[in-house]
Amino acid sequence: MIKAPFEMEKISDEEYILNMGPQHPSTHGVLRIVLKLDGETVSGLYPDVGYIHSSVEKMCENKKFDMITPYTDRLDYLSAINYNWAYVAAVEKLMGIQLPERVEYMRVMLAELNRIMSHLLWYSAFGMDVGALTPIFYAFREREEVIDIVEGMTGGRLTHHAFRIGGFKNDLQKDFLPRLEKFLKKFEDRISEYEALLINNVILASRTKGVGILDKAKAINYGVTGPTLRGSDCAIDLRKNSPYSVYPKFDFKACTGKNGDTWDRLKVRMDEMRESAKILKQAASMIPAGEFCAKVPRLIKPAPGEVYTMVESARGEFGVYLVSDGTDKPYRIKFRSPSFSNLSVLKEITIGAKIADVIAIMGSLDLVIPEIDR
Amino acid sequence: MNFQEILEKIKSKHEVLESKEDLGVLNAYIAPAKIAAVASFLKEELGFTQLNFITAVDLPANNSLEVVYRFLSYTTADAVVLKVKLDRAKAAVETISGVFQTADWHERETAEMFGITFLKHPDPNRLILPDGIEAPLRKDYKNPDMIPLPKA
Repeated sequence: MIKAPFEMEKISDEEYILNMGPQHPSTHGVLRIVLKLDGETVSGLYPDVGYIHSSVEKMCENKKFDMITPYTDRLDYLSAINYNWAYVAAVEKLMGIQLPERVEYMRVMLAELNRIMSHLLWYSAFGMDVGALTPIFYAFREREEVIDIVEGMTGGRLTHHAFRIGGFKNDLQKDFLPRLEKFLKKFEDRISEYEALLINNVILASRTKGVGILDKAKAINYGVTGPTLRGSDCAIDLRKNSPYSVYPKFDFKACTGKNGDTWDRLKVRMDEMRESAKILKQAASMIPAGEFCAKVPRLIKPAPGEVYTMVESARGEFGVYLVSDGTDKPYRIKFRSPSFSNLSVLKEITIGAKIADVIAIMGSLDLVIPEIDR
Repeated sequence: MNFQEILEKIKSKHEVLESKEDLGVLNAYIAPAKIAAVASFLKEELGFTQLNFITAVDLPANNSLEVVYRFLSYTTADAVVLKVKLDRAKAAVETISGVFQTADWHERETAEMFGITFLKHPDPNRLILPDGIEAPLRKDYKNPDMIPLPKA
């Protein structure tokens, strides 16, 4: 946290300072962006984070391994299932637990539904950020259905929490697959509807094309991951590049944009929902019968050692670095969150843009603040 | 590349103090003054273009702080962990933000959480914590608001 990032004496008479946030609606959480403006043009930018720091990492050092999973879904409440996954995978890898194949398929299906859910919320919120109020009503119609499907499995409509170390607490509920099938049948048409409504809209396209251009080399140098990176013509997806679980068995592609501008980042997320639907279809037809949980000791005590596992969450690479000293509590745990690195690049792509563009550019990064502050 | 090959390649150009394999990943200890040079070597020569994270682990039993850097190669999916051992009393290490831009924020976070100085850092301000909280992730951190639960 910083009080005054720009020295007032060094600001010319033509320039002024504007605080965007900490309570600005388009920051979707408590984030302060200090802007230095020359007329309407941004000449300096300083993101100020840490308003909702909750010392999750310190808290986890005092919790037993199986008590930590719910903390991870509060980091990114929109992509909770993927976050659970990275954590339980870390413990499983450290303990050398072999998962039944059914568990892997169940995890993939829930994670992909979660990605659709997250992207639909981003789509709605982005629409509202740039002044389009209609998209949210369309997107939430389908999002509601996805939440209903996931709720049966996880018991939650936000901060979904179903993953346990070794598998799940329950098998898939009986109507999971029929409902999923019913949803997928119409979903692809609906994505085209969303695109027609907002993404391909002439006004939005002219507002976002050529704005906030992020080139590939810079994106990688800043540690940008996820759809934000793929928008910059960089086909890097951890599901493909560092494959985990059963993802190699599915046929899907890493969606990319061409120019790395704001519009490309929007388009990548829309395409990604199509790919998620494709994975879901394949997983639903391939899921084997079997156990829904591996044999896990009652007392979870991994051997001393350290591990880093990462998953492709809706926002990018989420990783858990876990150091165990052989007791029932982690010695040190570090959460590597995608929005943290994605926000750090904002300065590079915003300077020179107009103040109204800042909203659109920030919206296209799809930030979730609790995972930045942790 | 397996961890032996990566280790040999690093050793051919730079000094590695000690090394071990942990679940298939190379852990190499580097001298604090050499970290930027080794990070640059990994990025430019071996293709480890992604810096996953920087953090630290406090080890009061050995009176040391270990700074952890993890690198990933997108092309081969290989990973390398570099570590730097620091003295807890005067923890200072060279910044690698000149090599990886993303290190800027990761180092600022590590600095305030563990009380480590990153030398020549371009923006040594605090990132997340407000003033007055010093090195909370060290194991001996005490705060009057932290009251242990009574034993049942």
